[in-house]
Amino acid sequence: MKSKILTAVLSILLFASCQNSLDLYPLAEPSAEKWYSNETEIQLALNDLYRIDWWQWDEDLSNNYLSDDGFYRQSLTPVKSGTITSQWDFSTSLWRNSYKAIARANRAIVALNSDVTKSKVAQSKLDIYVAEARFHRAAQYAKLVNHFGDVVYTDQVVSIEEAYSIGRTNKKTVTTKIYEDFDFAIKNLPTSYATTAVKRATKGAAMGLKARFALYEGDFKVAAEAAKACMDLNTFALHTDYSNLFLQSTKNSKEVIFSIPRSLELKQTVGPISDIITRNAGGFGAQNPTWDLFCSYLCTDGKTIDKSSLYDPRNPFTNRDPRCTATIVEFGTPHLGFIYDPNPTALQVTRLSSNTKVTNNDNRANAQFASFNGLVWKKRVDDSWLLNGRLIETEHFIIRYADILLMYAEAKTELNEIDDTVLAAVNAVRSRAYKVAVTATNYPAIKTKVQAELRREIRMERRMELASEGLRYMDIIRWKIAGKVLNRPIYGILDPADLKSKLVDKNLWFFAGTPSIDQDGTPDFTAMAATGLIKNLVLTTWDDRQYLWPIPTSEIQINTNMKQNEGY
Amino acid sequence: MTKNSTKQNFLLFMKINLIQLIIAVVFAANAFAIPVKAQDMLQRKVSISLQKGSIKTLLKSIEKQTDVLFSYKKDLIANDEPLTLEIKNEKVEDVLKKVLTPRNISFEIVGERQIILIRSKSLGLDLKENGSNQVNMTLPTIENNVNNDITIKGTVSDEKGEKLPGVSVILKGTSRGSTTNVDGEYSIAVTDSKSILVFSFVGFQAQEITVGNQTKINISLKIDSKALDEVVVVGYGVQKKKDLTGAVSSIDSEMFKERKETQVAQALQGAMSGVMVTRSGANGSMGGATIRIRGVTTIGDSNPLVIVDGVPVADVNQVNPNDIENLSVLKDAASASIYGSRAASGVILITTKRAKTDQASIQYNYENGFDKPTQLPDYMRASRYMELVNELRWNDAGNGANKFPTFSQDLLNNYDQKHQTDPNKYPDTDWMALTLNKMARREAHSISVIGGSKFVKSNASIRYEKLGGFYENKDYGRIFLRSNNDFTINKFIGGTVDFNFKRTNTNDPTANDPLGRIRISSPIYPALWADGRIADGKAGENVYAKIKYGGTNNNNFNQVGGRIALDLKPIDGLKLSAILAPIFDFNNQKRFNKQVDAYSADNPNQFAATLISGGLTTRLDENRSTNYSLTTQLLGNYIKTIGKSDFTALIGYENYYYKGESMGASRDQYLFDTYPFLNQGPAALRDNFGTAFETAYRSQFGRITYSYNTKYLLQANVRRDGSSRFNKDYRWGVFPSISAGWVMTEEGFMQKQNLISFLKLRASWGTLGNERIGNYPSFGIISFGNALFYQNNVAIAQQTAAQVQYAIKDISWEKTASTDLGVDAYFLKNKLRFTGDVYYKQTKDMLLALQIPIFVGFENPNQNTGIMETKGIDLDLGWTDNIGKLKYSVSANLSQFKSIMGDLGGTEFLGSKIKKKGSQFDEWYGYKSEGIYQTQEDLNNSPKLSNTVKVGDLKYTDISGPNGVPDGKISPEYDRVLLGGSLPQWMYGGNVRLEYGNFDLGITFQGIGYQQVSNLDYTDYNAENWGVFPVYLDGNTWSVNNTPDQNLAAKYPRYTETNKGFNRTQSDFWLFNGGYFRLKNIALGYTIPKNISSKIMSNNIRFYVNASDVFTVNKYPKGWDPEGFGIVTTVIGGFNISF
Repeated sequence: MKSKILTAVLSILLFASCQNSLDLYPLAEPSAEKWYSNETEIQLALNDLYRIDWWQWDEDLSNNYLSDDGFYRQSLTPVKSGTITSQWDFSTSLWRNSYKAIARANRAIVALNSDVTKSKVAQSKLDIYVAEARFHRAAQYAKLVNHFGDVVYTDQVVSIEEAYSIGRTNKKTVTTKIYEDFDFAIKNLPTSYATTAVKRATKGAAMGLKARFALYEGDFKVAAEAAKACMDLNTFALHTDYSNLFLQSTKNSKEVIFSIPRSLELKQTVGPISDIITRNAGGFGAQNPTWDLFCSYLCTDGKTIDKSSLYDPRNPFTNRDPRCTATIVEFGTPHLGFIYDPNPTALQVTRLSSNTKVTNNDNRANAQFASFNGLVWKKRVDDSWLLNGRLIETEHFIIRYADILLMYAEAKTELNEIDDTVLAAVNAVRSRAYKVAVTATNYPAIKTKVQAELRREIRMERRMELASEGLRYMDIIRWKIAGKVLNRPIYGILDPADLKSKLVDKNLWFFAGTPSIDQDGTPDFTAMAATGLIKNLVLTTWDDRQYLWPIPTSEIQINTNMKQNEGY
Repeated sequence: MTKNSTKQNFLLFMKINLIQLIIAVVFAANAFAIPVKAQDMLQRKVSISLQKGSIKTLLKSIEKQTDVLFSYKKDLIANDEPLTLEIKNEKVEDVLKKVLTPRNISFEIVGERQIILIRSKSLGLDLKENGSNQVNMTLPTIENNVNNDITIKGTVSDEKGEKLPGVSVILKGTSRGSTTNVDGEYSIAVTDSKSILVFSFVGFQAQEITVGNQTKINISLKIDSKALDEVVVVGYGVQKKKDLTGAVSSIDSEMFKERKETQVAQALQGAMSGVMVTRSGANGSMGGATIRIRGVTTIGDSNPLVIVDGVPVADVNQVNPNDIENLSVLKDAASASIYGSRAASGVILITTKRAKTDQASIQYNYENGFDKPTQLPDYMRASRYMELVNELRWNDAGNGANKFPTFSQDLLNNYDQKHQTDPNKYPDTDWMALTLNKMARREAHSISVIGGSKFVKSNASIRYEKLGGFYENKDYGRIFLRSNNDFTINKFIGGTVDFNFKRTNTNDPTANDPLGRIRISSPIYPALWADGRIADGKAGENVYAKIKYGGTNNNNFNQVGGRIALDLKPIDGLKLSAILAPIFDFNNQKRFNKQVDAYSADNPNQFAATLISGGLTTRLDENRSTNYSLTTQLLGNYIKTIGKSDFTALIGYENYYYKGESMGASRDQYLFDTYPFLNQGPAALRDNFGTAFETAYRSQFGRITYSYNTKYLLQANVRRDGSSRFNKDYRWGVFPSISAGWVMTEEGFMQKQNLISFLKLRASWGTLGNERIGNYPSFGIISFGNALFYQNNVAIAQQTAAQVQYAIKDISWEKTASTDLGVDAYFLKNKLRFTGDVYYKQTKDMLLALQIPIFVGFENPNQNTGIMETKGIDLDLGWTDNIGKLKYSVSANLSQFKSIMGDLGGTEFLGSKIKKKGSQFDEWYGYKSEGIYQTQEDLNNSPKLSNTVKVGDLKYTDISGPNGVPDGKISPEYDRVLLGGSLPQWMYGGNVRLEYGNFDLGITFQGIGYQQVSNLDYTDYNAENWGVFPVYLDGNTWSVNNTPDQNLAAKYPRYTETNKGFNRTQSDFWLFNGGYFRLKNIALGYTIPKNISSKIMSNNIRFYVNASDVFTVNKYPKGWDPEGFGIVTTVIGGFNISF
């Protein structure tokens, strides 16, 4: 019996010895308790703020057209159909992602200000780290304020309990805080980094984003000063070739003040971007520039198409600002391996690689879903888009120097402080497009110093220069013209049979008429539509409540301190 | 009392004592006298009806109805006259007296249940009546040759080597007998070497052994399968069903034999009350199903804990259905709390088949059959589709003059004719018909080999099955291998060594969601050109060609598991077990997507599009994961009987550890699609990853059961658990439970009726825990990533790190308290069986990922917050009887539950469903609809979601606003309300079994009484802005082309893309009763008569056909199965042969 008990006891001990500890720590990731304790860890935390997730723009390369620059067949985003509610994914994700970045910046700043960190890291380095975090925080708050108006402001790591007692902060207060952050960043960030160093946020980036925020909020004095300061840094310059600037092969141009790189090799890509690629090249040709954009390009005489004698509706690409054909594919020119021609009679088209005629699928007579208005995007697109499974590594611009120049000009114009520096700034941008010196005479330099005229010139210049860069939406919002430009049909070409009989056969291709260009520089197709020679593809509808986006539903429902924006 | 009677009484006294004395001598070896429950035995009630029967049949009938066993000398009742009698619910004692006394037979109880019949002419009151030879009493024959006897000794055990006390050992042909003691030991005197000993025990098959020249005979008894359903597997042991105090449902191998489902989870659908099985259609019969026991208890992981032979496993589908001996579901806290820590969602216990002593057989089973979709929805053909798209665009473009905004009139004119002449330019593709096979084949082979000796008992089985898919490149194969071995070394030591292996191989096309894409794809896009080449579909969206040529995703899941147990029995009644059970998983995935290029219709050299879905480039992904888990258990079981009280005690310790590790690698843009290996891809486009996690818990637990006179039953459990998932200070949880039962039919007042044959009332209370909320919730995990920067004008990656969620340091166990009241009642001689339970569950400190303000910038963390209350009932009813040679049984079950959320301290939003205070669990949440706007005037005067709402759109009720009153606007914040529960109500199931001669037939049905289901999935149109329209929308949709009357009758709002989101957001407009009845299974079998099968040495040959998911009755739109797209009707034919 004793031996049996002994055996039992022994086996129990044997088992007890194989037991493991219950104190299991994460194997693959560290825990936050122990993080933010040294310089490397803080650097990693700062790196996180540069992740592309936090830098989504109003429009990117996907089909989420919020502005009147582009469209996706007959579908509308809620902005353009006037159907935004507090459940709109896009505004909710902007809100969420911005606040994630802010929380992480706040967390890093708390760590940087801790005594432990201070004792380990030199003050000079510490200042740069804090400046970086504050730059990001300001940039994120700026986006939020621009879109939502009053937002929740905090510069601390908020506990869940505290969160329920917080509501929205007056925009003015937030604005002050944003300026303070930007100013700290401007003071402490380096002007530039050596080529061999890792390029992070700079003084110029802080100045540029500060100018943008101020301009969007109508704070023209601050905007002008910040833009001027950025110009005075003399570290940035306009890229020589406008069309080349946007190609995926162009990296880290001197024009780019702040951007997020993309890289196929490092798996940060956009795509597959088939909707932009034309159908002959195997894409869908579904995302297209609007006629509104097309008709907004000036003629080479600096006049709008309704006023210029150089404009020919049968050859609408001729005599236009060079940025027109850099943005929209000119008919009859090579594009992605084929001659692009949406003419319904061009049933065959040349394939460049073999120099043979093949069926033209960029033509609605052959392919029902070829571009609904005959236009396709040229900006950014080149043959390299067809490689790599249609993933591309186009750099994600946050702000570039041309924008600084135009913002400076706009702010000064709005302040009615119009001087030669203003004209020089805007003409620098325009002359670059013509690849001539700003002082040259063979381009339509802007000469007017009349505030209203110059305002219109600058607005049109912005549209031409910054088309499809995700900046147009905030422009039409702050200029309060969304009620006009997003409250009318999107037009396209007639169906192939009608198109042929009513236009092509009557020698009216491409445009049967010319829209008038209004005081905001936007085309009005009403008269053309009345002729029945263009097609109403889909109607956009605007509701003035949309000038501010709604706070996400759940924020209101779970927190009595949160109030919704007017009208929702 | 007269002198005479005194004398007689004295004589009687002497007589009885003498007999007892003799018995005591004979049974001298019976060292541990088991307390005689003589009177209990004789008080049992029986009902017997005999027409010209014999005493022998009478006695057999009593044996059947009670636990008693009769022993007698053959000639004692030989040559008796035919016996006719009708007895209803009389005590055994009375019956025996009535029948035996006139025949001069007396009876005596021996041991626990044995009754010996003795010739006793001089006994009893009848002495007077048979006055002639009363004094000359005849002693029982057993006494005659005592002195010449040989004494045989030995032990009796069950197949697992457990010693069996109380087994009766009878010398055949005599009334001489003995019973085993607590150690299973017996001793009996036999007359000679030709003597035959009969060993019998309730629940086991009787066994006869010829003595020969042995003096020591150890035997093991086989479990009598007929009695199996009396034994129920419970946590860490078995219990007799009649002793159960908790709510446990149990099914045996017969059901799996009949249902023939590939996945165990699917086979449980409708099989018992309180078990809700929801299938996911996408994979047909290969797919799993979610199991919910008594509804939902927790917001997190509500999957039941699954224990196979004592070892926790991932899910029930890990087991070969053919290997299952028994599957028990522990439904209430009292039954489950022995698994306290993770048992909040119920426990499923599976025991696999084991061999028995002196058993040897080989079985082979073959099955062949097919799956076909139960039904498929109809979608519009090309011309009607285009007309409706035009209507939609026209609606959205502002109803202009051009009524052909997308597809021109030219195109639409005579489209069908154009399609005939030029199908390339005018396609009309039936994607569903083209892509789906009519049926999918399936095949299975199973072999099992069983052999058992005194020392080693083995059961080995292997099953191979292969299932085809409805479309190309989809199939499923599985191999199960299991070997269960029991060893008996000596009376102190025994053990088991089990091994199992499982390999599942799944093949799928890399194309995403094939079943979804074929439903969306519009007919106006070509799948194939007229010459048979693949077409570009909708700009590269060609699900048919992508499935066929786009490469495959192959997954292998290999599992090796084992279980080693050592059993020690150091003292009587005590059994110590040590168990070690590792499980290893080795899973690998090879996903090889192939680039498929389509060329134009008229020019095979003109590139048209690369097919999308699943990837544009030829790319290989290889992933590996290995998991390891180890369960170690120490168990002590003790059984003790004192007087009328039976005690059992269990004490245990369990340790569990799990580690998972995974890694993967890929290369992209392969030049060739014929070499699916990493080396063959471009090095520049390679990628890889790896991660790991671990988790552990440790538990101590115990159970005590007490039974008084088998009438009053009491059980208490407690388990203490510690989990690695919680911080040290909040780690341990204690989960107690108590339950009691009262067998009313054991009471005297119940004895005088014959309607109720068994009645037990049960009550239980207990608490259970849950901790399944990710592995490290108490830490704020730092999550790594990459950010890109420029350096030397090229993009470089820098590592990033961020805390993504709050560290909830005090997060701890979620606790569910559950109360159960139940009744088990058998009526009409056990023909009618009823089990009913009502329960109430309250979950506290619910682990809940409440919506927190988004602006804090962290993910919603799991918190201990909130209360949920669930009330429900489970009912099971069964009837078994026979009509002549037709044996039949009918059973049905019904369950209902409702879960109401208490104060959660917040809200969890789930899109169209919600959890908040006062709501049901996952209640529908949305707008109240007032129908479709019919007039502009109504529209103008109504609050709207947006100014874009038009006539023909849905009208919603303005319920509230920021100030708590209607604000003249419809807004998501203030106008969405609870719309009723989303979970099934009144789930039922049932089964009819018939057996006639060699034929057997089983029919199973199942259904849901009522469930609010959303119609949104079934009425979608223009999906992704190019999708086809379902046929049943046509004519039922509001349209400007309709007359006002037609519009008043319209079932659906107008076609629109712009306002689609408004109309098709969740509202009560879209809810309907999705209850259904389903004929789940029909199984017909034929067993070849023994005299034929024995000619080929077989003892059983059975042929069968089986059909599942035969038909349903429901209110779903035409073509939709209530359980989703992809549910299949399965028809199988097969045969079983055993030797």
